[in-house]
Amino acid sequence: MTSATRQHPLVELSGVQKWFGDLHVLADVDLAIDAGEVVVVIGPSGSGKSTLCRAINRLEPIQQGEIRVDGELLPEEGKALARLRADVGMVFQNFNLFAHKTVLQNVTLGPVKVRHRSKGEADKRARELLDRVGVGNQADKYPAQLSGGQQQRVAIARALAMDPKVMLFDEPTSALDPEMINEVLDVMTSLARDGMTMVVITHEMGFARRAANRVVFMDGGRIVESADPETFFTRPTSDRAKDFLSKILTH
Amino acid sequence: MRFRRTASALTVAVTALALAACGDDDDGGGGGGDSAEPSVAETPEFEAGTTMAEIAERGTIRVGTKFDQPGFGLENLEGEVEGFDVEVAKIIAGALGIAEGDIEWVQTPSAVREEVIEGGEVDMVVATYTINDTRRERISFAGPYYEAGQQIMVASDDDEITGPESFTENPDATVCSVTGSTPAENIREYLASDSQLVLFEEYSQCADSLSNGQVDAVTTDNVILLGFVSESDGEFKLVGEQFTEEPYGIGITKGDVAFCEFINETLADNEEAYVAAWESTAGQVEGTETPSLPEPQPCS
Amino acid sequence: MSPVLDNLDLYVDGFLTSLRIIVYSLIGCLLLGLIIAACRVSPVPPLRAFGTFWVTTFRNTPLTVVLVFCAFGLPELGINRSFFFFGVLGLILYTSAFVAEAIRAGINSVPAGQAEAARSLGLGFSLTLRDVVLPQALRTVVPPLGSVLIAMFKNSAVVGAFGVGGDLWSTGQILTSARGYETLPVFIGVAIGYLLITLPAGALLQVIERKVAIAR
Ligand SMILES: Nc1ncnc2c1ncn2[C@@H]1O[C@H](COP(=O)(O)OP(=O)(O)OP(=O)(O)O)[C@@H](O)[C@H]1O
Ligand SMILES: [Mg+2]
Repeated sequence: MTSATRQHPLVELSGVQKWFGDLHVLADVDLAIDAGEVVVVIGPSGSGKSTLCRAINRLEPIQQGEIRVDGELLPEEGKALARLRADVGMVFQNFNLFAHKTVLQNVTLGPVKVRHRSKGEADKRARELLDRVGVGNQADKYPAQLSGGQQQRVAIARALAMDPKVMLFDEPTSALDPEMINEVLDVMTSLARDGMTMVVITHEMGFARRAANRVVFMDGGRIVESADPETFFTRPTSDRAKDFLSKILTH
Repeated sequence: MRFRRTASALTVAVTALALAACGDDDDGGGGGGDSAEPSVAETPEFEAGTTMAEIAERGTIRVGTKFDQPGFGLENLEGEVEGFDVEVAKIIAGALGIAEGDIEWVQTPSAVREEVIEGGEVDMVVATYTINDTRRERISFAGPYYEAGQQIMVASDDDEITGPESFTENPDATVCSVTGSTPAENIREYLASDSQLVLFEEYSQCADSLSNGQVDAVTTDNVILLGFVSESDGEFKLVGEQFTEEPYGIGITKGDVAFCEFINETLADNEEAYVAAWESTAGQVEGTETPSLPEPQPCS
Repeated sequence: MSPVLDNLDLYVDGFLTSLRIIVYSLIGCLLLGLIIAACRVSPVPPLRAFGTFWVTTFRNTPLTVVLVFCAFGLPELGINRSFFFFGVLGLILYTSAFVAEAIRAGINSVPAGQAEAARSLGLGFSLTLRDVVLPQALRTVVPPLGSVLIAMFKNSAVVGAFGVGGDLWSTGQILTSARGYETLPVFIGVAIGYLLITLPAGALLQVIERKVAIAR
């Protein structure tokens, strides 16, 4: 999935501003993510992490600035945007699997309807992906019959089935019972190792140390620090990052 | 817009009738001998046990009539009913010694006329009520007091439709009437197919549809059609002869022969009031002829 | 006296005419209602405004007024079609507003995350609606939609009074006022005719309701 020589970053945000009413949720955000890079975004609650993540596939429109995916400016709502979203995988905190479809149908919907693959081809690929994330034997069940960890792994398979250029994860393990967190993190770690470009919002510092190329720390809608994991966790420069780390590393 | 028609037709009819009523009042006030006011008998005597005795004793009479039929029974803006049916009822009430003010008017649309008689809610119904045998199974009729007849109204520039037979000859021609009315039933035998008949709740809706080209003709009793013709500024005309006889009767309780005969005699004895009743109401419409009282049918 | 048996052929004709009005209106109001509901939830502001305007207009206008505009207003504009056409059109316009609202309520009952997941897979607005949101909305839509449709079935009686004639309601009117039958037995027959349509429809709705409830 790492593509050939590229002059530009795969995802590029420049001067992004967003307000919810009076609330300035994204304040002058600049961020460039190269192909194959894994970026972990951390920060206190309400700091704008989810908004940033959702802005990248325009689930949240922004008011100022530019966002480019693979060099292409995010289009207005419409066909072109749908095409672009097909290249950007997204994994949600609450899985958001389609409740009325089986696991297999969840994974094949996008390839069949958007990529216009044949059903046989889509089924075959879906089963491979489900095997890869370890839920191959659940293919014919409905989401409600699966555990949270299994559902989240299906959601990852669903995103992968589109062969995305980049994957966005918005707190993928926050809704899970502790014993299920690792099964999801393992899948993500192996994805990262295979060279997938990833933006991951998470509080799992172990994952960040293990898999991230870079950690971005947000507070109050701004990117306050951006560094490799080793540097960030051992020598944070800003007071707010230090403060934040002291709070979450205690438990 | 054409929606105006219904309203304006009503307004004109009401105004005409109100003017006519005013004229009568002036005459009545002078106490002139040729007044159109029906006379009220001083102290009529009736055989005990008859409907007449009961009504005279009670001192009031309940009369069912239409409140929405221009020329026959129409409620005016003051809430009083006016029309030929109303005047006929006043003649009969007068013979029972009951003055105009002691008549209680009950609105009886076509669909409820038998019901109110059977239920004893009224003493009689004078409401453009065509005498027929099905109705006779449930009530009795006095009269007839008027021979109406069904006719066809078309647009003035229409020479294709010349009478009811035209609907047999031309299966595309449509004709409008009111749901559940006798005229709507009568026209059926002339139709090539049921789809030629268009039914509405009110004749004004038929007239609107004739005017905007949705239907080719309207059919009902001549009197009602004449009202529309005279209001149409030359847009509508009547074609063909009257092709039915619609004897209007006075509905009373089934089997009340004495009351029936009393009504028939009263009408026969009051020719002058009868003519005046017509001329002050339905007779105001241009093109109508003053009728003479038809031969009564035997009471049963 | 059995006015119903004496006039069974009239009743059957009336029943069939009412059924015809109902079937056309059913198809029309479901399609139109779906389109209007889609407008109401669409991301395009003018479409949303149009949907709102439509629902506000037809939900707040009495059916008889809508029918007057169809049967007497359209001919004034030079549109001369059969009264059956105008009547069914009026009933469709009127009912579509209620259908749209029932569908919209169902759409709103589907968690927003479902549509977001679909959109982030690259599904456009109509695919998202058709393949993800509507099938799930169906569960909550069926009961209120059923009430709306059964009300529409009964409203078909009003259409009969606008030049259509020959439907069940008008048949009752003809038998009572022109042919002098007693009101009560005649309209018991009319009621039975409508029940023959509404009761099976209600039963069918329950079957559908159970079906869509299981499908998850
Ligand atoms: N649709 C919205 N309308 C108004 N305010 C919103 C909306 N969505 C988010 N916000 C506000 O914007 C701010 C940033 O929200 P966001 O979800 O991006 O934060 P976050 O960093 O993801 O927080 P958390 O860790 O709690 O998920 C918060 O104050 C939130 O309340
Ligand atoms: Mg968040």
